[in-house]
Amino acid sequence: MIGTGTGALLASLGLFFAGIPLSLRSRKLSYLACLLGSLALLGTSLEVLAFHPVAPVSWIGPLGTPEGIGLDGLSAFFALVASLVWIATSLFSLAYDTGTSRLLAPTYSLTLGAIALLFLANDAILFLVGWELMTVASYGMILQAPGRPGRTFSAAFIFLAFGEGSTLAIFLALAGLWSVSGTFRFVPLVSTGLVTSGIFLAALVGFGLKMGVAPFHMSEWLPIAHSSAPSNASAVLSATLTLAGTYGLFRILSLLGPSPSWWGAVVLTMGATSALLGALFAAVSEHSKGLPAYSTIENNGLVLVALGVALMARSEGLPVLFAFALYAAFYQALAHAVAKAALFLHAGYIDRTTGTFDLNAIRGRAKEPGSPAFPAFLVAGTSLAAGPPLAGFVSEWMILEALFQSYRFPDPLLRLVGLLAGAAVALAAGLIAAAMVKFLGFGMLWNPRRSAPARMGARALASPILGISAVVAGIGISAPWILAGLGGPAIVFARASVPPPIGGALSIPAGWSIVSGAPFGIISPPGLPLALLFGALVGIGYLWLRGRPRWRRSPPWMAGNPVQVPDESYSAFAFSTGLRLMLRGMFRTREARTTHGPTTWATLQMPGSYDVELEVFDAFKAFYDALERGGLGLSAALKSALMPGRLGQYVAYILVATLIVILYVAIVF
Amino acid sequence: MTRSSWVETSLSEVPKTSHDLSLSYLSPDARLAILTDYTEHRTRVLRGEPLGLDPARFPNQPWLAPAARGLRRCPPDEDVRGYGIFTFPYGPVTGGVPEAVRFDVRTYGERILELTPVTGFKRRGVLAGIAGLPLPDAALRVERMVGNLSAAHVTAFLTAAESARGLPVPERELWTRALALELQRIYNHLHAVARVAESAAQSVGQAQVHALSEEVLRLAGWAFGHRWLFGALLPGGPDRRLEPSDRRTIGTRIARISADFQTLWDLLSHTRIFVDRIQGTSPIPRREAIRWGAVGPTLRASSVGWDDRVHAPIPPYTDLFVAVPQGIDGDALDRIAVRVGEIQSSTLAIEQILDRWPAASGEIPPEPCVEAHRGIARVEGPNGDLIYDVTMQGDRVAGASCRSASEANLPLLALGSRQSVFTDFSFAWESFGFVIAEVDR
Repeated sequence: MIGTGTGALLASLGLFFAGIPLSLRSRKLSYLACLLGSLALLGTSLEVLAFHPVAPVSWIGPLGTPEGIGLDGLSAFFALVASLVWIATSLFSLAYDTGTSRLLAPTYSLTLGAIALLFLANDAILFLVGWELMTVASYGMILQAPGRPGRTFSAAFIFLAFGEGSTLAIFLALAGLWSVSGTFRFVPLVSTGLVTSGIFLAALVGFGLKMGVAPFHMSEWLPIAHSSAPSNASAVLSATLTLAGTYGLFRILSLLGPSPSWWGAVVLTMGATSALLGALFAAVSEHSKGLPAYSTIENNGLVLVALGVALMARSEGLPVLFAFALYAAFYQALAHAVAKAALFLHAGYIDRTTGTFDLNAIRGRAKEPGSPAFPAFLVAGTSLAAGPPLAGFVSEWMILEALFQSYRFPDPLLRLVGLLAGAAVALAAGLIAAAMVKFLGFGMLWNPRRSAPARMGARALASPILGISAVVAGIGISAPWILAGLGGPAIVFARASVPPPIGGALSIPAGWSIVSGAPFGIISPPGLPLALLFGALVGIGYLWLRGRPRWRRSPPWMAGNPVQVPDESYSAFAFSTGLRLMLRGMFRTREARTTHGPTTWATLQMPGSYDVELEVFDAFKAFYDALERGGLGLSAALKSALMPGRLGQYVAYILVATLIVILYVAIVF
Repeated sequence: MTRSSWVETSLSEVPKTSHDLSLSYLSPDARLAILTDYTEHRTRVLRGEPLGLDPARFPNQPWLAPAARGLRRCPPDEDVRGYGIFTFPYGPVTGGVPEAVRFDVRTYGERILELTPVTGFKRRGVLAGIAGLPLPDAALRVERMVGNLSAAHVTAFLTAAESARGLPVPERELWTRALALELQRIYNHLHAVARVAESAAQSVGQAQVHALSEEVLRLAGWAFGHRWLFGALLPGGPDRRLEPSDRRTIGTRIARISADFQTLWDLLSHTRIFVDRIQGTSPIPRREAIRWGAVGPTLRASSVGWDDRVHAPIPPYTDLFVAVPQGIDGDALDRIAVRVGEIQSSTLAIEQILDRWPAASGEIPPEPCVEAHRGIARVEGPNGDLIYDVTMQGDRVAGASCRSASEANLPLLALGSRQSVFTDFSFAWESFGFVIAEVDR
């Protein structure tokens, strides 16, 4: 007997996978199927969060183990976030995917179906199937980047390599789970010990690889930035693929149950490092997709920070802080996914209207009279820069509030970790604000000087971006009520009812405010826009009473120059050069000069013209490069040592193998 | 031994050939570099060939052509390109730009990759306008062209004009010019030190040094009837004769100002935040200084000991001992230190001038002219070697051109500012002591 909930789940999965054959007929049909599938998933998730879980439907799989799909509070929350994003990206793709590649639509559908499958999976086998399908399908999606095939291929290959690495680690974690529980089904464990710690570490590495957190952040920014992957693909990768990693980590931790304090400290350290590194590299990026990709590293780092505080608080017996940090983690995952989807879709919009990903070249060219996506861009960017009253602000506030309360930990070492993480997160918040100022400023607000090329389907591209950014604003303003609705995932994670951190004080009605700890901070996200509105009304009233102000207009002062100096526009690169030079130890900043052209001043040995590039490097990339070189070198050495092509050696191998078999048989039997 | 006889004894030891004094301290190849550049240079000057860098060697050098209308970009004016590089036009009317000049800064942010000074915003056509004027009227205009360098300009102009006319010059006029020149040198060097102190936010030191420079101006006003010496050096001499008591007063006050300044400089040069800002800032290697024809304190800071007062002297410098301070690294600190040394050296020169003031009104034959009715003169002004080329028609000026010290040094600012950061720029600028009125004439 299949209930309506299960039916809707199966229907949504079917629609996603139906997108693959449908793309042969028409790309638009395929995206439409994805849209409908996302809507079905959204509806079911909302129902689960509001009422009750969908009871899993099980069967015996081909391996003779029970398999099943279903939706509980935890997976419903993540499915809800992902389907919100997918609705926007599918709508966007309808107008966006007009390129030559016919493979984008089927790989897109497959990616969505695979991610949905791993959300719905109730056992390790289906989860791994979904996970592996997701990796391969996204690999195919990245390959569909227009232009520069060689570079695209290497970037996609790096993505695949990291993806398979994560699958290996997750396989290890799931095998560990099986060895303890004796079943592939996801059932909560009771025992704690060395094995669970091993499972935890393997899961952290595996899912961390997918989340793109330090030190695995190469897996996140490199494919997106270097390959200039299609924008709908970038949005799906950055917002929901990393969300799948987040979900996996939460799921495994929910199965493992109570943990020692050091788990939380490890997660917290990893998260704070990622937040800081992501923000640093975002601040020195001028790529309209690379910058948001680094911001994803920062945001996923923040999820880990909140999760780390929650784990530490649970181990140290601080239920109030545990609840607050847990809700902060969920809310951060939600806030990041929707805002990042809006930002990536907008990067695609800019690319489509200006034909470039370079902020130096964009320089406000996307801001044309009546540019429809402009408000969306502003909202998403401001949210990611933690500007009130948007979603990013609320989550950043919650995370910092949680870190402020690390003084409650009885262990001084944990307090120190919390303190350092707090400093790193605060620094990251400042840096990411600078990065977003650059992104918004050079992407949008700059005074346009050149005329933009003709836009194709601008309005159709813009409406889904506007829609998802409205969600960003909406969930920011209604944050207390959103948090009140997140009891479902919290129960699954904590195995007990966890009260949402909302309340009221100072004549604000109960439930309108977020409260961090009994005698600690309080904030009212719905109150903020009300206060802003009130201020605006006062201003308008004042102007109305005083009469219209007299405007004085004058041409901009050009420092007394009779004509404009050519090429005088401030560049996006220059905006962050200070950081590059100040942190040259961190960025390995290096200046490369190339002299060329005729030497006008031959007798003075002066070059007539030359090129200068200021380059920064990611130290971790150097590490992975060294790893790659070492791996290749080792394999070449082994190859030449073990398989030199000499017949005698091969005969010796056969002889040794035969001897071993004879000995084995002789001893065992 | 009296002071006077000590000076006489010292002077007798000064080598007679002009290069020997400074060159004896240099290595052989460095000596060769200077000799080729400067002996050639001087020969060209005496032959009446075009001045400054040789246009034959640099055919595309508009910088050396007679001042044209419109804006001029100072060499080397290179083209640097790269990711994120843009031009930052700084000036001419922008907060922080000290003069009517624009700097086109090529940068990727923070760091100056290339800097090109652009001038021509305040050209007045003074030298073009004096054609046809009688010599005293022309001199009135020339001295007003650059107020704080009036003595150097009018001395060079008159010396060139006198050489063109071939008339002997009253000896006392020559000594008056030298006195005015040294007074103005002290004033300008004090001013430059004060400006650098201002850039480094050394408010007290800046105010103190400015007060001393104001004292020099007042002394000049008292002695010559005008703070900027306008009208004091015209042919026929100043209205006011310097009596022995006046000369004593000048000597005493200058000696006191110089001593006071030395105290201030001791304080300033032991202030780390002051020295740190100028040490290593905008360095000009010796080689570049010679190649680009740097002059004055800028050249001497880069350890080239050339000074017109010693190496191409006009009377009365032929009879005076002049010390030539030099720097080593050619950075802003060295340029300022050379100026500080020259304040002492000028004090000594003034002491000699006053001591040996010509008693009777004798006359000195003029410098040899390069061709009929055309004279060329070079004078070591406060900022360096100043060259005037004047053609006379009877007692009227037929034409005049000039190569000023600021003009010669401007390319060095461009070279020295490379790779420095924006915040260092004001130190670089002030240490050179540029006067744009000299460039835009």
